[in-house]
Amino acid sequence: MTPIIEARDVARVHALRGHSVEALRGVSLKVRAGEHLAITGPSGSGKSTLLTLLGGLERPTSGDVLVQGRSLATLDDRLLTRLRLEQVGFVFQRFHLLPVLTARENVELPMAEMRVSSRERKERAEELLAYVGLSGRSGHRPTELSGGEMQRVAIARALANRPAILLADEPTGELDMATGQAILDLFDRLNRDGMTMVVVTHDDRLAERAQRVVRMLDGQITN
Amino acid sequence: MNWRWALRDLARHRLRTALSLAGIAVAAALLLDMMMLSGGLERSFEKLLLSRGYQLRVTPKGTLPFDTEATMGGASDLVARIRAEPGVAEAGAMLATSVHALAGAARRSLVAYGVDPTAQGFYVLETGTDLDPSHPDAILLGLPAAAIVGARIGDTVEIAGRLDPQVGVASGTRRMVVRGTARFLYDARDQPSVAVTLGTAQALAGRSARDRASVIMVRVGDDSAAASVAGHLRERIPEVGVSSIGEMVVQFRTRLSYFRQLSLILGLIALVVTVLLVGTLLAITVNEQIGVIATLRAIGVARRSVFLYVMQQGLALTVVGSAAGLVLGIITARWLDAILTSFPGLPASISFFVAEPGSLLRAAVVLLITGVIAGLPPSWRAMHAPVAATLRSDAL
Repeated sequence: MTPIIEARDVARVHALRGHSVEALRGVSLKVRAGEHLAITGPSGSGKSTLLTLLGGLERPTSGDVLVQGRSLATLDDRLLTRLRLEQVGFVFQRFHLLPVLTARENVELPMAEMRVSSRERKERAEELLAYVGLSGRSGHRPTELSGGEMQRVAIARALANRPAILLADEPTGELDMATGQAILDLFDRLNRDGMTMVVVTHDDRLAERAQRVVRMLDGQITN
Repeated sequence: MNWRWALRDLARHRLRTALSLAGIAVAAALLLDMMMLSGGLERSFEKLLLSRGYQLRVTPKGTLPFDTEATMGGASDLVARIRAEPGVAEAGAMLATSVHALAGAARRSLVAYGVDPTAQGFYVLETGTDLDPSHPDAILLGLPAAAIVGARIGDTVEIAGRLDPQVGVASGTRRMVVRGTARFLYDARDQPSVAVTLGTAQALAGRSARDRASVIMVRVGDDSAAASVAGHLRERIPEVGVSSIGEMVVQFRTRLSYFRQLSLILGLIALVVTVLLVGTLLAITVNEQIGVIATLRAIGVARRSVFLYVMQQGLALTVVGSAAGLVLGIITARWLDAILTSFPGLPASISFFVAEPGSLLRAAVVLLITGVIAGLPPSWRAMHAPVAATLRSDAL
């Protein structure tokens, strides 16, 4: 079966203050459709960089990444942006919701970018907020929400355009234990509903729930 | 990403936005005022010169109207020759001279316009009856002169043409009947002017002013022929100077070129201030939201949408600030106009700031372009923010 995401011998070198830092060194990885994969490792091991490459946020220095069989190297910036909009959902440690928009409007944002009609956007956003357990909070602005609630809005936003893949970078990093647990439950539910998930985490609880765990050290996969 | 969301972002920082809007409004007002000043003064002057429909002025050679006290001899012959020229519809001489109103021991100095009532372009009758060549002892008073003399229509006033400079004894005295009041077009504010017939003015001024005139006003039947008639008059009567309205406006422009330079410099300063204000505010907004912007790009929001989102904020600031500024500019222009037109020696009816739809439109377009230019660097920065690097540094 063709993997939904595949990294082929990817390397990534960052230029930091005149120095070159090898963030990734020849990493190869396949993710199957519907799989729940966790990437773990110490800080600086290259796991977040790998996630950004898998999601087409930046390009590898060498090697290639394929999403649904399509090489990202062949896509220009406009097509990569379109791919992220339609097929990949992102959740980050910092929620980064637009502070002037309500929870519902934040969820509507990727749909607005897809030129979905206003009515349809509204209905879908309400559905997604209900799915993540925030049905009563759609009119609230981010400043009126707790950290856990903001992360749920961010997850709903990531799901807005029905992506095939959800990539999450330390999604529980800024949450307390109980709130983090609720997010983990939500991720489980998403995966059960068929979502392919790649989660970068320090959190052992999150890694334990994944079907497969990839461990990284010094820019390489160690297992 | 739409206009409403962009506006809400501005409304989130009320004080910052309000201060920026105030700054843009002041700069826009300054720009509008400078635009009105740069062209308005000329247009106002041209309008004033044409207000009575006389397109040409004949003056002593080498002078401009009201520029010197020089006069031309043989005025009646000159007027007759000018009237006989093809294309000339009307011509009338005027002698400007100082006269004195006598009231007991008091002497009040007045400016007298001696005119041909059938061909004059110096005053507009406001009340009473106009001068008539058959009534040489009639006089029209401007409002400041009426106030000084304390006379009304029907009153008799004693006017002296000359005063002995040593002892102040009046000579050439005439008793004149006030027939009406007039508004004198070229007068400075509060200038006490009167109008009498040309012959009376010449008599009051004494022997040396006999058949002399300061200026001859010429009306050309066809406006478009004014320049050619002027040229023709110069050839036919080379001993006098002939100025068309256009030439006088050019002279005026040359003399007041510093106003244009001043308005250009201040206008440019206003534009730079607007660019800096809008640019700074947007740069701060982009800096504050760089993490959000990177996230938006990460979730698939196109560069174009990010660019427009920031640009919309810049345009909203510019449009709202400029609209307030244009209103403020019109108000301040009136105030500044009142100050500048009170300068001695300037016709009170001239306007330095002329609010015309063209000036307003030009200012609005320039401000809009300024807003776009100011919004470009921060919008460019936002759309080109390196997504992964920004998210990495944001997570630290």
